[in-house]
Amino acid sequence: MILEKGMITNLQRLSLHDGNGIRTVIFLKGCNMRCLWCHNPETFSQKVQIERIDQKCISCGACVEVCGSGALSMYNGKVHYNAKSCTQNGDCIPVCYSGAMHQVGEMHTSESLYKAIEKDVPFFKFSDGGVTFSGGEPLLQHQFLMEVIQYFKSKDLNIAVESNFNVSWNIISKFLPYVDHWLVDLKFINAEKHKKWTFTDNQKVLSNITLLDNQKVSYELRTPLIPTANNIKEELVAINDFVNQLSNCKQFKLNPYHKLGEQKYKNLGLEYNLAHINEMSHSEFQYWSSLIKK
Amino acid sequence: MEMKEYYLQKIENLKRAKALQTKEKIRKEGLLDEDDYGRIAVPDKGWEIIPNHSDGSFYGIQGWTDNFCDLMDNHPTYIDGNDAFAGRWIYFMSKMRPNKWNPSYPFTHLIANQEKYDIIHGIGDDAHFAPDFELGLQLGWGGLLKKIETSAAINQGEEQEVFYQAHKRAIVSIQGWIKRHIDELALMIQKEEDPLSRENLLKMRETNRAILHHPPKTLRQACQWIIWFHLASRTYNRDGAGGQIDTLLQPYFENDIKNGIIDKEEAIYYLSCFLINDPIYWQLGGPDGNGGDVSSEISFLILEAADKINTSLNITVRVHDHMNQELFDRSLDYLIKHKNAWPRFSGDKGLISGFMKNGYSEELARKRIAVGCNWMSLPGLEYTMNDLVKVNMAKVFEVAFEEIMATSEVKSTAELWGKFTAHLAKAVTTAADGIKHHLKYQKYNEPELILNLLSYGPLEKGRDVSDGGAMYYNLSIDGAGIAIVADSFAAIEQRIEEEKRLSWEDLQSHLNSNFEDENGERIRTLLQNSERYGQGDTKGDKWASLIAEHFSALVKNESDAEQNHCFIPGLFSWANTVGLGKKVKATPNGRKGGEPINHGANPTPGFVVDGGSLALASAIAKVQPGYGNTAPMQWELDPSLAKEEHAEIIGAIIKTHFELGGTLINVNIMDKEQVLAAHENPDLYPDLVVRITGFTAYFAMLSKEFRQLVVDRILEN
Ligand code: SF4
Ligand code: SF4
Repeated sequence: MILEKGMITNLQRLSLHDGNGIRTVIFLKGCNMRCLWCHNPETFSQKVQIERIDQKCISCGACVEVCGSGALSMYNGKVHYNAKSCTQNGDCIPVCYSGAMHQVGEMHTSESLYKAIEKDVPFFKFSDGGVTFSGGEPLLQHQFLMEVIQYFKSKDLNIAVESNFNVSWNIISKFLPYVDHWLVDLKFINAEKHKKWTFTDNQKVLSNITLLDNQKVSYELRTPLIPTANNIKEELVAINDFVNQLSNCKQFKLNPYHKLGEQKYKNLGLEYNLAHINEMSHSEFQYWSSLIKK
Repeated sequence: MEMKEYYLQKIENLKRAKALQTKEKIRKEGLLDEDDYGRIAVPDKGWEIIPNHSDGSFYGIQGWTDNFCDLMDNHPTYIDGNDAFAGRWIYFMSKMRPNKWNPSYPFTHLIANQEKYDIIHGIGDDAHFAPDFELGLQLGWGGLLKKIETSAAINQGEEQEVFYQAHKRAIVSIQGWIKRHIDELALMIQKEEDPLSRENLLKMRETNRAILHHPPKTLRQACQWIIWFHLASRTYNRDGAGGQIDTLLQPYFENDIKNGIIDKEEAIYYLSCFLINDPIYWQLGGPDGNGGDVSSEISFLILEAADKINTSLNITVRVHDHMNQELFDRSLDYLIKHKNAWPRFSGDKGLISGFMKNGYSEELARKRIAVGCNWMSLPGLEYTMNDLVKVNMAKVFEVAFEEIMATSEVKSTAELWGKFTAHLAKAVTTAADGIKHHLKYQKYNEPELILNLLSYGPLEKGRDVSDGGAMYYNLSIDGAGIAIVADSFAAIEQRIEEEKRLSWEDLQSHLNSNFEDENGERIRTLLQNSERYGQGDTKGDKWASLIAEHFSALVKNESDAEQNHCFIPGLFSWANTVGLGKKVKATPNGRKGGEPINHGANPTPGFVVDGGSLALASAIAKVQPGYGNTAPMQWELDPSLAKEEHAEIIGAIIKTHFELGGTLINVNIMDKEQVLAAHENPDLYPDLVVRITGFTAYFAMLSKEFRQLVVDRILEN
């Protein structure tokens, strides 16, 4: 067997929002959507990236000294990172004292990945937990993912996959026998809006959800509720109607927009386009949630 | 269960009284970095000790008996009409001595090494083992007096006569104290006009009359008997050990119900009064030896009573494969509902298999229950010195590091490890020698007059429990500072040996300057960011396991079957993290000189970014000392996880930690904002309870320095 390798951004232990019980989420790098609100921008590109964790930096300047490309500079006693000039050669990483200069993206095989999560396995047992594959879009690395999931299944782990479903049904269907639970994002019914906010079409997404529904497998739908994008009555009603005509959706819920990802954009030297949008209040979120009740 | 307004009101009044008492205690006696103990403030012009030595202290059986009996004879009475029970304790008699060790038995030969390795030696310390309340409940005070008489007839001799006479006097003085309450109750009954309150006082008097000589027969009598014993024992020398509270009280409860004497509401009211009397360490549930659990209906009522009073409580739920799942679920509900640091949880699997490794049977191991701060004990069967003796491993590391820098040509972590283990061996032997010294002379210093009564052996043999009277001597030595040492080894290995980012000499000069020299802060950051203990499969984790294993082997090695000395290792620092840290200069893990060492077996704060709870639970399970004593997991549970909908997840983490070999979990759930506000203004938060280590305390009662420590722990999590 050829050992597939895949690109992972990180692992999150004890995630409370990505499936049942105690779960470890494995984030695969690379995505085919560009949702403007995304809080995991480190998963956009499938390549290794340099990330600068500002909060860790002690402004010693050692990285600036070794950076030959001018991507790092120091003014007013603070380091500034310009991703556009960065050659991603990683020279700054070993000289950094605080771990602030950091590489996102690590190649893994199914075995090395299992090794990385093995310490969490005992915790799954008492809570019916398991592993959730997320991203990015995990199915973009479907060959690797298939190998990992089959390997994890041989270890008797419960598997969930979190996907945007913007992939061919052919690929999804191959995973059906191995995945215990699907978590799928339903962002917009309105095609134009979908395109505007995610830079992709939603036809495939909607038809894949319908096809999945016919398979009678365990799945849930989530709608990220984004101020000014889809917190509009008619959009939510359309989403709700779509969900209501499905027969096997286990759960459907709204997830409130949050800005926790904003710092990550800065760390990667990317621009965050929703800086002007505020998180919504709890009561507002409650109001929108009340609209989606069947 | 819905309770009659009558009982609820009484409980409310008791809580209010307790809050006032705590306030008064702070006002009169100042801040105290310790357990609440349920003690009330010393009155003005209070009792004073009677010294029998020129140093102003009192020693030996005569001194202790004279002092205790005099105190009992003069002890104020305490009766609250809202309470089902009489009595509170006031005096820390053992702490009132200016000196705690009889100077006739010096240990000068040990002092040099005790100081060199910063050992808390425990010589002359108060009782840290458990009485068997069942024995007391069976015999009553009269039965105990009879036992003394019978035993005295068998064991004759001058010393024995003094021994038995002393115990007899102690009991008679306790009875006198109870009797004064009975007399006082008579006066109160006369004055009381409210029929319900009068009825309660009458019952209180009847209860106390019934148990003045005879063993208790009802739930109310059993609780009152236990209260008198532990109030006396607390007064004598602070003993706070409890027992298996549900099985102790079960027969009385069931009998009362059967005979129609009480209903469940009344039982909960009694239990509430019982729990508010003193935050004794009680265990709930546990294996029954037949594949089931010992818990019964009263276990649930005890939890309900705890729910009603919700003060400082030290109830431990025993977690095992065949536990009562409903009891566990209920205990999680209360943990989450109140966020008041109770209950805590002990892990049967690791404790039993570990204790059996000392050569004991499974049946005996099952009896070793959670009855102390970090500790387990066999009620009535052993003398232990639990939680009293600590080896500051961070200090031992400092000695080894300084030695390698001064003497070794070639420096390496292997070489350093060799020196560290050699010094650790000396430190452990010094600690063990201290314990042996204590065992030899404690009877001439501080005999265990009260706990002897509820132990199997002392009265029978006419020997103090510290002096061969007990059946087993399971002597505890705890290691402190494991994370500081593990992270220091890991940082050296990674930064000096592998990455070659600095030399041994660079490190030494940064340490000597407390990282305040040129580049010091950079290097400190670098060292702090090395692979730390707790992150999982890191260099720090590897070193921590090695240290734990090695420490355990060294402690075990001190055992001596001929002397009946079984030494048992633990990893625990109690509330000494500040004090022990003050003695240690800067360390290679980036810790500055004088800063606290890590808490117990916990990694240093901020060791991991996310999933901290899982990382903590795995890491601490891996460094278990493995012989039946604990390396507790001190869990600062994030309030975002501590929600009803996550109860199953919290339960799963607890169960998994124990499945992996963990022994004890102390949980705190604290809201950051609230802790910060309370730190600023403790008086505004009189009810805020924190689990400091194994014990809980009112936050407002802690010194500023100690509050800061709690705040840091929560913020850095
Ligand atoms: S990775 Fe980028 S920032 Fe770092 S040294 Fe290379 S060019 Fe500079
Ligand atoms: S080397 Fe690291 S700590 Fe120093 S300035 Fe650069 S990012 Fe900050």
